[in-house]
Amino acid sequence: MSRTGKSSRTGTRRTAKKRLQLPEVLDLTAAAPLAQSFITRRGADLTIDASQVRRVGAQCMQVLLAAATTWKTDGKQLSLEKPTEEFLEGSHLLGLRLEDDLAVGEPV
Amino acid sequence: MDSLRQIFFQECEEQLAELESGLLEIEGGSEDPEIVNAVFRAVHSIKGGAGAFALEDLVRFAHVFETVLDEVRKGRLSTASPVTETLLRAADVLADLVRVARDGGNVNEERIHTAADELAALSGAPIGANAEPEEEVSFEDFGFTPVAMDFPVFDDIAVVDTASVEAEAEPDATTYTITFRPHPSLYTNANEPVVLLRELSRLGDAQIVCDTSTIPTLEELEAEGSYLAWTITLATTHEEDDVRAIFEFVDGDCDLEITTGDLASGNDEPVGVDDDIAALLARVRGEFTDTATESASPAVSDTDIAHAGGSASVDNAAVAAIVVANIEAEAAKPTPEAAKAPAPAKAEKAAGSDAPSTNQTIRVDLDRVDRLMNLVGELVINQAMLSQRLTDAGLARDSEFATGLDEFEQLTHDIQEGVMAIRAQPVKSVFQRMPRLVREVAAITGKKVRLVTEGEDTEVDKTVIERLADPLTHMIRNAIDHGLETPDKRLAAGKREEGLVRLSASHRSGRIVIDIADDGAGINRQRVRAIAEEKGLIQPNAQLTDEEVDNLIFLPGFSTASTVSDISGRGVGMDVVKKSIQALGGRVSITSRPGEGSTFTLSLPLTLAVLYGMVVTVAEQTLVVPLTSIVETLKPKAGDIHGFGGDSRVISMRNNFLPLIDVGRELGYRSQPADPGAGVALLVESDGGAHSALMVDAIQGQRQIVIKSLEENYGRVPGVAAATILGDGRVALILDVDAIVAASRSGASTSETAFALAG
Repeated sequence: MSRTGKSSRTGTRRTAKKRLQLPEVLDLTAAAPLAQSFITRRGADLTIDASQVRRVGAQCMQVLLAAATTWKTDGKQLSLEKPTEEFLEGSHLLGLRLEDDLAVGEPV
Repeated sequence: MDSLRQIFFQECEEQLAELESGLLEIEGGSEDPEIVNAVFRAVHSIKGGAGAFALEDLVRFAHVFETVLDEVRKGRLSTASPVTETLLRAADVLADLVRVARDGGNVNEERIHTAADELAALSGAPIGANAEPEEEVSFEDFGFTPVAMDFPVFDDIAVVDTASVEAEAEPDATTYTITFRPHPSLYTNANEPVVLLRELSRLGDAQIVCDTSTIPTLEELEAEGSYLAWTITLATTHEEDDVRAIFEFVDGDCDLEITTGDLASGNDEPVGVDDDIAALLARVRGEFTDTATESASPAVSDTDIAHAGGSASVDNAAVAAIVVANIEAEAAKPTPEAAKAPAPAKAEKAAGSDAPSTNQTIRVDLDRVDRLMNLVGELVINQAMLSQRLTDAGLARDSEFATGLDEFEQLTHDIQEGVMAIRAQPVKSVFQRMPRLVREVAAITGKKVRLVTEGEDTEVDKTVIERLADPLTHMIRNAIDHGLETPDKRLAAGKREEGLVRLSASHRSGRIVIDIADDGAGINRQRVRAIAEEKGLIQPNAQLTDEEVDNLIFLPGFSTASTVSDISGRGVGMDVVKKSIQALGGRVSITSRPGEGSTFTLSLPLTLAVLYGMVVTVAEQTLVVPLTSIVETLKPKAGDIHGFGGDSRVISMRNNFLPLIDVGRELGYRSQPADPGAGVALLVESDGGAHSALMVDAIQGQRQIVIKSLEENYGRVPGVAAATILGDGRVALILDVDAIVAASRSGASTSETAFALAG
């Protein structure tokens, strides 16, 4: 916890927001690495870049939602940028309204 | 990703096998609905998996295929012979597509189109709704489904829009409410809710609501866990079975409840959903109206494309207004739907069906099994060494030691058998490829063929199975191409028009025996003989028994077909078949009766890890000769041995002269010829069925030995196949009989092999 606390201070001090580029394929195998990359970026405002996403799976969405919950608890802002059509189609099929939990930018 | 792909293709193989055997049973007249279901499931899961890996061609074809099978399943399409033939052809095409998807290469587009058209004709004719699947397929080209919208804020407008469109077209749609809660196992089995939900939304107008209430925070999240659940309200003209079919493969991996009707009455509401929607509404009204307005036009234009018509002239502001209005209107609706918790009774039932009803299997890396096998080999050797030591120490007679040793021996033997059983697989996997081959060859040759397989469950080592496929393929091609007569000739001979090829496997005295029998004309011995003479393989006036004539077809360079046909004559003949069977430690024999057909019999060891060998002594070295190549052993009399030019000698046996090969000299153990009178001759059969006599000093006995490869460390040593470790701890070389015989024939052997083995 102390480590993340420190990183949050450095994070807030910076003017540029941290970014996380989502991989092209968000399938079953991507879920664990994705969760890990969220955990390491915890404690700071974060922008998720979904511009590369070609395929979406439910488990990665679980991770996204969990991250959204976590960021909300931490009082930090989590937003999603440039979702691709595939990303939106996938989240639509999953009946998700990500904009509930995230600030979702315009589709590319 | 690669490993998932690999698993997918492995599963495809299994599904294709299932598909083929199921179709064949249906062709054979079986009307068991379970088989039809199994066949449907096979195609469906290939399609599902292919979708996950974005294999478009495969998905498209599987979809058309599946549509037809669904008709069959519902009893709307009979399984009369033209239908099953089409289905079998389609199965072949599907197998090709899987292969291309895995290995790359080209697909025969024309063949796929033909098969797809045939299938479409089948599914189209009886229900007159062929357009429907095709339409769906064409949408896949765009990677888009009619329901799918490109911006999540418009979820509801999308739903409303399609609902109204579908409502006009299909007034008598039924509404199903589906609750779907995946178990973690659904994910580990590489299933994907997105795929399932996409399938579902293709059936009609689907409103999908996700229950995200159980999502934990990141640190509590198990990435491979399952936290999401869905409630889908589906308005469709399809039947409940169709809806269920989508979830067929995740049966047992999820809680699933499907109810008819739009249950709007109050129910227990799951925590969170309501809040979510309220929050959504708040946000949509507040912040999101602007965004919505901005991005409304692309969304609407997509809808327009999808539905080819409608409100192109609606301006952005109006759309935005509709968005908000609709969301408000819809807001009340999803809540009770999402709330429908599965009834306890059903839930229990679902849990009950989780219980494994079939044998459970695991996939194990072959390397691990091999390592285990190797260790067991060491154990067997160690056990032999231990018993040898006890004997040397004079303790073996002590009853306590003797009993302990016996038990130990029994245990090692059991372990060895157990490990070999792990590697053993039914020959089914090879036999299953044959019906397709038979169909293809029959089509090319214009013959009618029925293939009967027996003993598919006979088990044999995996390596043997893998290396059995090519020889078997070749022999079956031969049986149809050369063995069976054309239909008119068969009728003229008073036989059934349809030729019979029988492929059977059985265990016989520790070996597997595979018969490939046809009821054709039998081997035309005169012709075989004439060809052999023409090609200079035998002397024109040689005296040959029928059996010897039959065996001529195994000679290199022999091909009976007067024209090189597309099927069998591919430059490889029966000699290659024989060689590959011999490489497996097996033998091939023929029995043929004119007018009644021929039978080729393969006899193979059950494993390549152990062999039965004769332990012999040559120049104080211990060697092992595989028992499979030994025909008989004899103690030669000095009078039977004759010099034959230079150093060579022959032995006279039953009025035949056979080359006598001095193993000790061949391997360079000694330079002087051994005294034949003092040794033992092993009569062996080598390549091409030729007999020769191997000269050794003494026979120690017969035993099962564990094969240890030398090639890894020493490269290929001429004359030596492998090595083993004997009970006394010494290494004994296993003779490669064919190589020794060939080397002695070529004459140039002695010096070369002597150097090779000098170390």
